[in-house]
Amino acid sequence: MNPFDAHRHALSVNRRTFLTQSAYGLGGLALALMSERRAAAGASGSTGAPSRLPPGWSGALREAHLPVKAKRVIFLCMAGGPSQFETFDWKPKLKELDGQVFPDSFTKGQQLAQLQNTVLKARGAFTTFRKYGQAGIEVSDLFPQIASVADDLCVIRSMQTEQINHDTAHAFMNTGSIIKGRPSMGSWLLYGLGAETQELPGFIVLNSQGKYGLQPISARQWSSGVLPGRFQGIQFQSRGDAVHYVGSPEGVCQSMQRQVIDEVRRMNGLLAEETRDPEIATRIAQYEMAFKMQSSVPELTDFRSEPQSVLDLYGVKEPGDGSFASNCILARRLAERGVRMIQLYHRAWDHHTDLEPGMRAGAREVDQGTAALIKDLKQRGMLDDTLILWGGEFGRTPMGQGTGRDHHILGFSVFLAGGGVKAGTVYGSTDELGYRALENPVNVHDLHATMLALLGIDHHRLNTKFQGLDVRLTGVAGKVVRGIMA
Amino acid sequence: MSRSILRSLLVLGFLPGLHGAPSTTAPISFNRDIRPIMSDTCFHCHGFDATTREAGMRLDLPEEALKPTKNGLRPIVPGRPVESEIILRIMDKDDPMPPETMHKALTPEQKELFRRWVAEGAVYEPHWAYTPLVQPAVPGVSDVTHPIDAFIRSRLGEKGFTPSAEAEKTRLLRRLSLDLTGLPPTPAETAAFLADHSPDAYGRQVDRLLTSPHHGERMAVWWLDIARFSDTVGFHGDQNQRIFPYRDYVIRAFNANKRFDQFTVEQLAGDLLPNPTIEQRVATGYNRLNLMTREGGAQPAEYLAKYGADRVRAVSAAWFGSTFGCAECHDHKFDPIKARDFYELQAFFADVKQWGVYSDYDYTRNPELKGFTNEFPFPPEIEVESPYLASRHAQLQTELLAEIETLRRPASVADDAARYAAWVAEQRAYVARTPGGWEPARATAAELRKKGQPLADRKPSVAPDGTLDTDGPLAFQESLRVTLRPDGGQVSAIRAEVTLAAPSGAASEAKWRWPLAPLHLTVHVQSTAGAERTVAVAFADASAKQPRYQSGVELHGITEGWRLPEPTRAETLTGVWLLAEPLTLNADESLVLTIRGGELPPVRLATTRFGATEPLEVAAPKVLRALAADERGPTDEAVLRETWRLSTRSDPQALTRYHRVAAGLRATRGGKAMTMVTEAAPPLTVRLLPRGNWQDETGPVVTPATPSFLPGRRESTPEKRLTRLDLAHWITGPDNPITARAVMNRLWAMYFGVGLSAVVDDLGSQGELPSHPELLDWLAAEFRGGGWDLRRMIRLIVTSATYRQSSDYRTELREADPANRLLAAQSPRRLEAEFVRDNALFIAGMLDLRDIGGPSAKPYQPAGYYAALQFPDRDYVNSGADAQWRRGVYTHWQRTFLHPMLANFDAPARDECAAQRSLSNTPQQALTLLNDPTFVEAARQFAARVIADGGTDDARLRHAFRIALARASKPAEVDSLQAFLATQRATYRAAPAEAEKLLRQGISPPATGDLLELAAWTSVARVLLNSQEVITRY
Repeated sequence: MNPFDAHRHALSVNRRTFLTQSAYGLGGLALALMSERRAAAGASGSTGAPSRLPPGWSGALREAHLPVKAKRVIFLCMAGGPSQFETFDWKPKLKELDGQVFPDSFTKGQQLAQLQNTVLKARGAFTTFRKYGQAGIEVSDLFPQIASVADDLCVIRSMQTEQINHDTAHAFMNTGSIIKGRPSMGSWLLYGLGAETQELPGFIVLNSQGKYGLQPISARQWSSGVLPGRFQGIQFQSRGDAVHYVGSPEGVCQSMQRQVIDEVRRMNGLLAEETRDPEIATRIAQYEMAFKMQSSVPELTDFRSEPQSVLDLYGVKEPGDGSFASNCILARRLAERGVRMIQLYHRAWDHHTDLEPGMRAGAREVDQGTAALIKDLKQRGMLDDTLILWGGEFGRTPMGQGTGRDHHILGFSVFLAGGGVKAGTVYGSTDELGYRALENPVNVHDLHATMLALLGIDHHRLNTKFQGLDVRLTGVAGKVVRGIMA
Repeated sequence: MSRSILRSLLVLGFLPGLHGAPSTTAPISFNRDIRPIMSDTCFHCHGFDATTREAGMRLDLPEEALKPTKNGLRPIVPGRPVESEIILRIMDKDDPMPPETMHKALTPEQKELFRRWVAEGAVYEPHWAYTPLVQPAVPGVSDVTHPIDAFIRSRLGEKGFTPSAEAEKTRLLRRLSLDLTGLPPTPAETAAFLADHSPDAYGRQVDRLLTSPHHGERMAVWWLDIARFSDTVGFHGDQNQRIFPYRDYVIRAFNANKRFDQFTVEQLAGDLLPNPTIEQRVATGYNRLNLMTREGGAQPAEYLAKYGADRVRAVSAAWFGSTFGCAECHDHKFDPIKARDFYELQAFFADVKQWGVYSDYDYTRNPELKGFTNEFPFPPEIEVESPYLASRHAQLQTELLAEIETLRRPASVADDAARYAAWVAEQRAYVARTPGGWEPARATAAELRKKGQPLADRKPSVAPDGTLDTDGPLAFQESLRVTLRPDGGQVSAIRAEVTLAAPSGAASEAKWRWPLAPLHLTVHVQSTAGAERTVAVAFADASAKQPRYQSGVELHGITEGWRLPEPTRAETLTGVWLLAEPLTLNADESLVLTIRGGELPPVRLATTRFGATEPLEVAAPKVLRALAADERGPTDEAVLRETWRLSTRSDPQALTRYHRVAAGLRATRGGKAMTMVTEAAPPLTVRLLPRGNWQDETGPVVTPATPSFLPGRRESTPEKRLTRLDLAHWITGPDNPITARAVMNRLWAMYFGVGLSAVVDDLGSQGELPSHPELLDWLAAEFRGGGWDLRRMIRLIVTSATYRQSSDYRTELREADPANRLLAAQSPRRLEAEFVRDNALFIAGMLDLRDIGGPSAKPYQPAGYYAALQFPDRDYVNSGADAQWRRGVYTHWQRTFLHPMLANFDAPARDECAAQRSLSNTPQQALTLLNDPTFVEAARQFAARVIADGGTDDARLRHAFRIALARASKPAEVDSLQAFLATQRATYRAAPAEAEKLLRQGISPPATGDLLELAAWTSVARVLLNSQEVITRY
């Protein structure tokens, strides 16, 4: 065939050549190319250096800045903000003070959410805590399964964020900024590292919800923002097609869909002969990827290959039922298939009221699935290069609010596990009433910087130009927290 | 490396890398060659922001850069690189600038540029975008008359390139049509253009398309991105906001070619104009398009700061093409934008009436928003006429009158007439024993229930006049249940009279806590055997009520609950529930009325056997008069016949039809709609917030002033505080150079894909020097000086030979000008999301072009997409056939969950001003075109259209190309598709059930004719709709 054998070209195309070849004459793409090139240049620190790409990297970064400890991230996002006092931060003093006026010395002049202008009373944990594992990490009785993997965890008890309302706190936790249009962490990873799969999106978001404490989330939490659209997170649906439009129309079987795509390719090939528009080759490649997705997504979400023992491990009764536990199995399957960033939201943790039933229900919903994911990855040898983050967009107040707790940003707990994380440790602590992070506070930028470091990325050097600025996940802040790295 | 060695190496030219640098003879230009590098690598520490400045060295201003620093170093010595500190430092391997920690190493080429610039005298130039706008002379180029072509050809000539030939006529018309209206040409339009050989054939097409009402729709997509127009508030619950009339305004403005200065003034400050028109007030909806919140726990002051910052970013992006965003926290690092500029600009908008949190929570009281729930709108709003709704209102009004005429028609057959006469006689007797036509409910049982079970310990009291009192609020799942047996077992309507006491002074003594929970009344029939069935209510309304909303839409009447208004005096309010069909109880049946609601004032129930067109018309005086009259005139007869048909099951179809039309008519809301506007209030105090921290009140109070770095600055004085109107006038005044530049640059991008300065959202020093600076200035001056006439500028651009060039790929340009910035050819460009949709539906013959403007429409969307949305929970209901196939510009814009089709094709969420969309090419796009029901349905209709036009397969295929691509097909294309068609026919013949399934997609009327043939052609249509050429404008 002629030199523009678009199909062959498309099958061999990779992102780099695509970009180089599609530069010509395509306004928007040319622009995207320029900014990407500039970003890539900025990202690698120098141009023209020989590529030292770590295995599996195919993104804008041309070399690892730091030793690569983790290849992918699974972010178990406990949306709504679970209480640290009923999970990982045991405060006996607070329990002693339960029901009494909360000392004014802690709260004076501080930002509160719904507790503004009210009398503040201490609320002790309604649960008890025990020490688990060789490390002796204190975990609440609500989470026996997570407690059983205590030696794999690095619990951070000194997290802090800047945003006290759900919407902006989610934005901050995911994008490091509250300005709309900043790329999310997963988009940064996909942009910087590419994905190890060509048949699935490289950044996938799964949702589940609990019985109490639901709060809305937004697609901007997995948006690519100012990065090109192909880096955005793809939300899997719990109803209908897992991915929007991934199912062929009714009355069109797979082979017929293939016939249509083949004919589209022929039409596009004829067009390419005439116009020589290089965008056509890319389009053909995208149709091929789309077709692969049409078969790989159903294969992915088909749990029949999972033995009963695995379902039991996760506590999944009906695979694919949209529960958090089921999503945890899916997360492992995605990790196995080379997806770079997997984010599981579980909306269940906004306990302004009904803290006790809410926490009990939430714990029941996520405890076993979370622990099973860690165990499962470990027995498959994948925990070493998978970085897991478990936590909410903020924590809860040590003060009560009716039968619950209000939002709190000055000290809360999250945990990391897996690739490059110092397992079996507790990092940082809060004051005796759990109001404020005292020792080794970790803010969201620090958490991001550290996670990037574990993935081999210097957070200063993963950036893109937008409106004249070097946009980064960590903005102009963030320091790597060595104490949580192995 | 020691300074002296470095110097000697420099002098001798021995430094590595320098020899590889390009050696051109053209002098170095500061703006083109040096500023971008300085901006990227130096200004962070040696630029505008005093707080981060190092070593007291400032390089952005020549007067600073040329004088010795406090350490005695001379940053730049013109003509003498070896004496210039900056040259020594950038060459210094041991202690380089920028320092390694910055990760901003200069390339050898960049170092050489610096050296040469200093050697050539270190001539600074002011930043191009901020300098006064002077129209440059058009370069003289032989045989070129169009000014745009002169600028472009002159550059091309310098580079030794020739322009491309004009595009083929068919392709040119398709390009023009898509660019100006977002719609492709019809085969007839293409044929007419091909047949027109007059010299002005093209110009006539330009004029036709520029005056098409669809031009405004196309332009609106451009502006709505910039204005960040959306149907929802964006934060947290992302509730609906009422704002579509603003979109109508924008479309109308472009269709009327409203002057851009006026367009600007009306949006920013229409409310401040003398005697503002409704249209000018609608335009001020612009200032309300910031994200808003109603999240419980959100702090008003924090969100007011966010809204203020949002407006500054939006206004500066829209009208200055500049990024003020960073100046919220500190002076801009790379541009002369100071934090003070940010807050001074914000201060212009401090009078916009708004609330930090749009509710009335316990922790933060907003008395004006008392009773607001998550279903409520976001005031201030005004009511305006919507042409779209008004036309439907008028049409339905006519239909309704016709239905009423039907109800009033004389009885047609003798049998009917006899029944009517008997009914009248019976009702005369009924009214005689039932004064007023309403029978007070004589309860056979009255009880309180919870979850359907009677409460043993609490009973309602029944007064002699039948008034029921629950004596204490009804809790969750509790209800008041009344059983009765109306006169003759006939019921058409239920009435509830609620007696409200006068307010009782002190709040603590008030019996009721207003606003009360809405009162719900449901109707059942119960047989003695215990069976119960629900009776449908057509509509209910009340003499007075508090408005209720569902996702921001005001509910009609009280069918879905009656929220009582807080009384100012003792009064009795009346609510009437009109049954969908008159009811006749069997002998063993009773009527059961159930009332739910929290605190329930004493209520008196009544029933009647009379129906009516509207609840409050039941048993109207005219009916009672007509019944009482001994001599009935024609009017009386008409009233009685209407009442007869509404009160009996004599013509159930007419009854159902009437109620359906009446409900449709109500939905048009009298042809009116609410829309958010700007209302001026006493301005909030605006402080400069150190590091953007809203809790820090140490910063100085600022007053409105125009940006300090732009010419003609205007500042508030103690006597005169500048207003939004002053800002708008300054923006569109003769001193401001940047607005015309920014708008022309964005306009250019619409027709060539890239702005003359490629970074259209940042004309500052981190942006890009324009590829053709003189052309941009020429266009900007022409625009500003020529009456801000946007259509004239568009016409100028699209009539240029530069625009009309072929977009075919030219190998020889590829290396020299990879991004096609010299414009020796046009650039192909994928259509934007809305037009991908419009184009497919247009090709299918389905696109609904009946109306310009109107409420947002809801195309099919995957089920459950809004599952993670709450406060309130959202249920996306697709628009029906009346609005399903409207243009993409009317699609409901949900900021947190944008319609997947729009999102997949790069439409922005519109959280922030989006001056340019990215154009990605992803598998999600392929999946959308292949499988989204909209496109599958479009393929079926396109196929039906092609089949209906008749002819052989060959003729049909050729016709399909003309429809889909506005061009003739090529033999290879037809051959290939013919073979494909054969396989599809074979496939569907073998599996006819599959054909039926394929053709079921969407809400179009079911397919008819040869379904197997239609299915095969649908496959062909899918191929065409998925082809790159259909979604690309070449």
